[in-house]
Amino acid sequence: MTHFAIVTAFGQDQPGIVAGLAEGLFKLNCNIEDTSSVQLRGEFTMMLLVRLPNGMAADQLAGHLPSHLSSLDLTIMCRDVPAQAALRKSNTTTPTHMLSVYGADKPGIVAKVARTVADHKGNITVMNTQVVGASDKPVYVMVLEMKLPDNSSPDALSQALDKLKPSLGVDLTFRKLESVNL
Amino acid sequence: MAVRPILLYPDAILKTPSAPAVPGDPTVASIIQDMLDTLQASLGVALAAPQIGHAVQIIVVDVSRKQGETGHGRIVLLNPRITHQDEERIVREGCLSVPDFTGNVLRYGKTIVEGLIPSGTQTTIEASGLEALAFQHELDHLAGILFLDRVRSMETDVFRRAHVRRGA
Repeated sequence: MTHFAIVTAFGQDQPGIVAGLAEGLFKLNCNIEDTSSVQLRGEFTMMLLVRLPNGMAADQLAGHLPSHLSSLDLTIMCRDVPAQAALRKSNTTTPTHMLSVYGADKPGIVAKVARTVADHKGNITVMNTQVVGASDKPVYVMVLEMKLPDNSSPDALSQALDKLKPSLGVDLTFRKLESVNL
Repeated sequence: MAVRPILLYPDAILKTPSAPAVPGDPTVASIIQDMLDTLQASLGVALAAPQIGHAVQIIVVDVSRKQGETGHGRIVLLNPRITHQDEERIVREGCLSVPDFTGNVLRYGKTIVEGLIPSGTQTTIEASGLEALAFQHELDHLAGILFLDRVRSMETDVFRRAHVRRGA
């Protein structure tokens, strides 16, 4: 039976991390399917949905990776993914709306914004945040893409988000994503 | 004529540059009719000839198929080329020939396209919005270019976009 795992790996950024991990997985007959990887400041972080070879359990994977990977000093974790969750889907998760939030950095921005989105049945599909600006006046930038259910009201979410602006001291823009299928 | 299957990548014709079409050629007329029939039967608003298996420079565009859009109605163009484009924007694009994947692509909100109508008369169309995007996408098909060749980021690229604007 086909089974999948999610591998997460991260470590101090340097050339060769992707190559080293991909070669290690290839040698173990693991098939890398969907992945997302990004630099978070000086750390390179990877998330990989991997199809495991027959007979290999997810918890065995990290221990089987070639020893040359140790020079990269990566933290590697692996967990089984239920077959249903690993199925390829059509565009049902294509985001419908985008939200950018920015303001002076303070705790709670992500929590309050994400809670508001969730309370309106918005499903966050991608989230990126970054602290930018001068070191004595850091600015928080948060960008979300989300899918709203077909029967939901974007206006209600938009109004709820606007109410957050004074308490969080942020500016925000909520807009429909221009999406075309040609 | 007939509704043809819309070819999917990795069909090689989708990466093949198309040859100019000859107005009045019976084969060209037959391809145009098949494209119109196929578009009518699809959920899309535009098609390029390679998508139904012909590497010739023919596109059909009809954004009025989408609710709320009018554009210029149904347009058939032979040997089209873009002479001007303006209003840069990032669009999340998908393609009938590449199902289940969308990507952020740099496009233009306004475009001027020149080409021949099927009788051979030269025409110029000023398009905006969805119609402009459709022209850009379909002309790419005639050059063997898929939106995957233009993807800027698999996900949100607002941070990168900021860099682009600074560089522009």
